[in-house]
Formats: sequence, structure tokens, C-alpha cells
Amino acid sequence: MKVSPDSSVLTRERPRVSGNADRERLHTLSRKIRATALEMIHIAGSGHIGSSLSSVDIMTVLRFGQMRWRSAVDRDVFVLSKGHAVPAWYATLMVAGDLDPALIGTLRTLDSPLQGHPDRTRCEYVDVSTGALGQGLSVALGRAEAKTLKGASGHVYCLVGDGECQEGQIWEAAMYAGARGVPNLTLIVDGNGRQSDGTVRATMDLMPLSDKLRSFRWSVREVDGHAHQALEKALTLARTDTTGPSAIIAHTHKGHLGPGRTALDGAHSGLFDEVGLRDALRYLESGR
Amino acid sequence: MKATRDWFGETLVDIAGEHDEVVVVNCDLGSATKALRFRQEFPERFFECGIAEANSIGLASGLAQEGLRPFVSSFGHFLTGKFLEIFQSVGLNDAGVVLVGTHAGLAIGKDGPTQMGLRDLALMRTLPNVEIIHPADGVETRRALEHIAAHRRPTYLRLCRQPQREVHDESHRFEFGMPDVLCEGEDLAVFTMGGMVEVVLDSLEPLAEHGVRPTVVNQSSLPADREAVRALGRRHASVFVLEDHFVTGGVADEIGRILLELDRPPRFGVWGVPDYGQAAAPADLYARYRLDVPSVVEHLRAFTHRTPA
Repeated sequence: MKVSPDSSVLTRERPRVSGNADRERLHTLSRKIRATALEMIHIAGSGHIGSSLSSVDIMTVLRFGQMRWRSAVDRDVFVLSKGHAVPAWYATLMVAGDLDPALIGTLRTLDSPLQGHPDRTRCEYVDVSTGALGQGLSVALGRAEAKTLKGASGHVYCLVGDGECQEGQIWEAAMYAGARGVPNLTLIVDGNGRQSDGTVRATMDLMPLSDKLRSFRWSVREVDGHAHQALEKALTLARTDTTGPSAIIAHTHKGHLGPGRTALDGAHSGLFDEVGLRDALRYLESGR
Repeated sequence: MKATRDWFGETLVDIAGEHDEVVVVNCDLGSATKALRFRQEFPERFFECGIAEANSIGLASGLAQEGLRPFVSSFGHFLTGKFLEIFQSVGLNDAGVVLVGTHAGLAIGKDGPTQMGLRDLALMRTLPNVEIIHPADGVETRRALEHIAAHRRPTYLRLCRQPQREVHDESHRFEFGMPDVLCEGEDLAVFTMGGMVEVVLDSLEPLAEHGVRPTVVNQSSLPADREAVRALGRRHASVFVLEDHFVTGGVADEIGRILLELDRPPRFGVWGVPDYGQAAAPADLYARYRLDVPSVVEHLRAFTHRTPA
């Protein structure tokens, strides 16, 4: 198992999934989502495998465990600020039945709702168009503040990358959320420790991220970002904590396929060849 | 005489009384942009972001996506400086944000080029779903705000710091994109917007002494209506555009592009700010950059009497 030197959470022994039906369900769903995302990127011939796979479990828990979905009166909002991970979100929506699985071959093609980065004007299941990094948290804040003004109870989730937190606008938004005590917003940091040119630590170290956010008056929880139960627990606590904004730092692996299995050695970009894809899909199919 | 930023501050409060969805996002310059009156009247609808324009723009996008009509106000130069944020969080999201950029042109004077709205039009014109409005007086500011409150398109409202006299009467109707012909002349049509409208009107009397009687067009909103501009182009042998903005990228480029597509384009001339600007008293700047009344008279006289090449 490849372990980021920063993440003590990841080095802890994790028990195998028990007979708990809900845990098994999420586990199965997340494997399907990974397979769907990989196929989609393979057909497109481009896309960010590493970032998509590191965030799949977060999206699985959000979509299937946490979010009040579209039919709800006061529905929740999901802002994928790290827009390059969008194949994972499209795959989540396909597995959920929101998007037609027939769209799988249209990622990054002309007039497709599945644009290379999320576009809300083309895909109804994209809440906010993103792509250039650092902007999503501000938009999420606006949506959260509007819900408060309107007396609506929906919650706003915003997923950012750890490398993305190098953007100044993240800290403008973090300052606002903390100073105003915005309670209906949860920030999730996909802490995969990697960015385009290398590790986050070597590029521009963010640590100690928890302390930084706490000093901006956020409640912060750190979890293993591939452990569904831990994510569920942290997200539930974040949602019910109305003292101010909550952040969850999810320690993840770039390219995470499963325990001990990493796609493309955790690279930011890069593609599988046919053999590599088949191997990965077979692994995901077998669930081991 | 009042500045359009003052009219904005007053009118927004009136409009917000009728439109619950109107909210304000402030970037610590509410006293200068005149947005602070709104805070007094509607404190719960006023979002102070501090000196953080990028976050203000993003936050406004989120507010708009939830059905509100946010007005983000700051100096136009500071707002449009966050172009990547406007491009994505407002433009690409098609979010109904109204960016209110005050202190257009050279008029900020002694604070100099780091505060001057001389490039804001050029930037905002590149976004295909954004309405740009730069009113010439109080009547037009009020009508424009009524227009803005009635729709949900991304909008850039460009406002002036300097007081402007009224060039419209109360019966004026604002029609987006339409060239607003303030005075019919002969041969030459002069297009401009905002604070320059009054300057052109004040040039008419001395110009008449030189035998120059231009049609004066207030092109207060962009994109301009193509057909209406073409019609004016056909009716005049020459067109001159004056702008209190960098000479590239503003209303001149818009009008020029439309006219060049005519089979027989009119003779075309432009005057605007050719550099970064500098710090000085507004009157000195307008004289130096040749955008005051004597200079406008001279530009139009010389252009009219120039022998075609």
C-alpha cells in the first residue's frame, strides 16, 4: 500500500468490511463508480484519473449517504471546485441513475453534457461550473448565504483539492465563512498530497492545514478519505454542527483503486493502456 | 448635477423595496460606490466581503444561482481585474450577477492609473452573455437599473465618479443595445457613452461655428444593436468614436467592427486614452488626454475637414 508520509490516518490498520449491508452497498457502489470513471476517461483518451479516483469515496458517500437530492424541497448543493475530478462525479451520477449510462462515451466530446470540466449550463446535475481552481468555495458560500436569507434548510458541500488550497481566493472565502460563522457549508479537502508538478509538500507546503482553518474559525475533522463510515460520521457531524463552517480534511491517495492498489502510481495525469485498464477493471469487479 | 454612482446608490434602495431578490455584495468601498445606503435600509441583504474582490464575485455568483439578484460594487478597475473569476464564476456559470464598476475613465484623477477604470470595457466585452451598461445621466441610470432588476442576465454596470448634467428628460425610455440619438446632425455621427456624452454635447456650439453639426449618439449599452448602428452608418458619411477608456477594446472597437461590415463603410475615426494614464487633477487629465471640450471640438473639426486619403 502506498502511503503518503503525512497521513497518519492512512497507516492505521483498517478492518475488512463487515457484513453491514449499508457498508457493503457503498463499497460496491464506489467500485462501480471507479470502473465507470476509468472507462469514461479511457474512451475520451484524456482526463484526470488520479484526482478522480482519490475523490470517488467522498462523492459516493455524499451522493448515496448524505445529500438531500434533487427531489427534496430544500435540496443540497454540491460544488466540485476541483473541476478536473469531474469524471468521478459523472460516474457517480450514472451509477445513481441520474445520468444516462449511454453518455459514457461522450466525455470531452462536442456538445456533450459531460464537458472536460463541469458546466452547469450543459449538464443539469452540475450545480456550479468550475475548472480554474480556487473559485468554488466562494460560490458555495454564496449559495449557503442565499439559503439562509431565504430560510431554506439545504446544505452546501464543496470539494476542493489540497493543492488547490494554494489559491488565494480559498483563503478569502475561508476568512468570510469563519468571520460570519456560516453554518450550512461543509468544505471537504481531497488531501491526496499531489498536484500537477509533484507533491503538495514539495511544491508549496500547506501544513498544518487543520490549524490554519481552525485559526480562521472553522471546525475541522480529519478522516481517512477512503473509509466510508468515517466519512459519513464526519459529514454528519459537520452538517449538524451549526456553530460555524466545518471542514473535513480527507486523507486520500491519488489514483486510489482500493487498499494497496493505486492507478498509474498516483500520477496527476496519464492514461492506462488496454492491458492496464483491463487489470484495473478486473480488480474493481472482483471487489478485492 | 449628480454622479451616476449617486443615482445608483439612491435608486437601488428604491428598486430593492419592490424586488426582494435584490441584494448587495460589498468590497469595502461602499462609501465610494454609494452602496452603503443599501446597508442602512436592508442590512440583512447586504453582504460585506471586505477587500476581497475575487471572493465577492464568487459569492455573488452563488447568491445569483439561488435566485437572488446580487449587485457587487467596487471600482470598475478592481472588479474587472478579477477577470478569471468573472469569466468562470459569473460568465460561464451564466449567473445573474450585476457587477457595478464605478470610477470609470480618467475622472478618478489624482489617485492615478492603479484605480482608473480604463480597461474594464475591453475585458467585459469578451464575455458573450454579459450586458454592459454605462449610463450618461440620472434618468438613464434609473431606467437602466429598472431594466437590470427585471432580468437575470450577467451584467456590468459602469458608473462615473464625476457629476453629470441631465441629458434626458423623464420621458426617456432605455432600450438595451440601441444607439440613443441625442441630437440629429449632418454627415458626421459621433458615438460615445457615459461621462463623455455631456462633453460632446458641450462641444456642439463651438463646432457649429466651424460649420460642423454632428449627430450625437449615446451608445450606453453593449453589445450594440447591429442593425441600428448600421442604419446610422448608412446615414452618415463619417463616424467618430470618443471614449474615456483605453483606445483599444471599448465602444470604438464595437462600433467600428459593425460599420466595417457595411458594403460602403463610412469614414471612421477614434480618440481614446492611448496609455496607462497617470495621476493628476481630472481637468488636467482630460485636457492632456484630449478628452475635454476644446479637444473634442478640435478632433471633430480636424476629422471633418481632413481630405480623404
